[in-house]
Amino acid sequence: MQASRARLFKEYKEVQREKSADPDIQLVCDDSNIFKWTALIKGPSETPFEGGVFQLAFSVPEQYPLQPPQVRFLTKIFHPNVHFKTGEICLDILKNAWSPAWTLQSVCRAIIALMAHPEPDSPLNCDSGNLLRSGDVRGYQSMARMYTRLAAMPKKG
Amino acid sequence: MVSDSVPAALIPSAANTKNLGKKKRTNRSAKLKQNKIEARREQWLSQGSVKSKGCKDVIDSDGHELPLSSGNHGKRPLEQLETRHRVEEDDGLIHQHSDSESPANSPTGNDSGTNFTGSSGSSSGSSSSRSSSSYSSAGCCSGNITEEDDDEEEEGGGEEEGDDGCLDDWEAVADALAANDKRQNPCSDSPPSHGDESVVQMASSNCEDPNRGPNSGSRNLKPESANLVPWTGNCRAWRADDAFRPQSLPNLSKQHSLPISDRRCGGGVLWSRSAMPSSCPICCEDLDLTDTSFLPCLCGFRLCLFCHKRILEEDARCPGCRKPYECEAVVETEPSVLGGSLTLRLAR
Repeated sequence: MQASRARLFKEYKEVQREKSADPDIQLVCDDSNIFKWTALIKGPSETPFEGGVFQLAFSVPEQYPLQPPQVRFLTKIFHPNVHFKTGEICLDILKNAWSPAWTLQSVCRAIIALMAHPEPDSPLNCDSGNLLRSGDVRGYQSMARMYTRLAAMPKKG
Repeated sequence: MVSDSVPAALIPSAANTKNLGKKKRTNRSAKLKQNKIEARREQWLSQGSVKSKGCKDVIDSDGHELPLSSGNHGKRPLEQLETRHRVEEDDGLIHQHSDSESPANSPTGNDSGTNFTGSSGSSSGSSSSRSSSSYSSAGCCSGNITEEDDDEEEEGGGEEEGDDGCLDDWEAVADALAANDKRQNPCSDSPPSHGDESVVQMASSNCEDPNRGPNSGSRNLKPESANLVPWTGNCRAWRADDAFRPQSLPNLSKQHSLPISDRRCGGGVLWSRSAMPSSCPICCEDLDLTDTSFLPCLCGFRLCLFCHKRILEEDARCPGCRKPYECEAVVETEPSVLGGSLTLRLAR
């Protein structure tokens, strides 16, 4: 409990100090609860998510960093490894491959990398996975781009 | 009694040492050695027969040559007087001894300066004649001779209080005893000093170190370096040494004060300082001495022992490389910092 709080506080200071270090990631701690974080990540370029801003919700367990944080997309995203309704993310480092040396910031980076490199063989979004597994990259990209435009881009006029 | 009085006597000297820096430290250690030698000589002479007669002679000769000494050394008259007092207190053992033992110290040198030359010279004579005075006393003779002036100053200052000399004598006797014990079984103190606390390890690393002699340079000096750096700032290390005072401190301050301070600039120190995170990357607590010398994984990822234990209880994989910890060997060797990190390197 105390260790996780200290660790999160240090991460908070780190984030404040290096706000511009990673322009694709904006980590914000909840005002009243250091165990609740939200992050805004930019969709990586040359992917169907380019131009979108995706919101992530972090829920940090008290055993953190020995236990990984629970992360889910708050923004709708069409991705084989993200549950379309709940936003749950299937990512090994958030499950069994977690290392206490990781930080919330590095989790965000890993999620950006996952967006650029989907793993269709362990899908949470079966429709998306099936499109990729059947080789319909264009179909996957247009679906993903559409949802990016619908959910992750600021509404224009 | 001895064990009680000795740390009390040493604490001011430790504080002095920190404040005055390296040069003064060597002077202080030289003075301590001097005291030790004098105490040993007194012990030895007390077994002998003649005392009072020689004492009388020396006082007379001292009184004659006091003006000469002031002209030579430019000392304050007060100091001269004190030195003469000291000679009286010592019952002139020094000169009696030096006359009989080492002819090089001629009676004409009986001023305040040669009081110490005589003592150091005679100590070298005694150390050569008596096997009980170790290499330490032999080694300190050069230091005594070269820094004789400073010794005189400190000695003169120290003799202003009558009690001080008494304490010095106690300390000297205890030091002599400890030095003897140490020489007989040099590693006797190292096994019990392998503790879990960083304080204990600090002391153990210090008192083990001089025993190893030239080999210690090739060993992993991380814990020692971590030790030595904060010494100049706070008195933590000295407090730790007080517990082990009879064995560890004589080695530290007397025999190896210069080599240890030289070793601070060694390559091992630089390496450890650059590679060492100041806080645990897992829990963000500051790494103490035990933690900084703890290398649980080959990949070099460091963390505090507390987090390491918690990780061992869960998935037991290194956070840095995610390989499983080879926990048993590591956990076994981690209490002994020096040996532990060394065996780790050798084992893999």
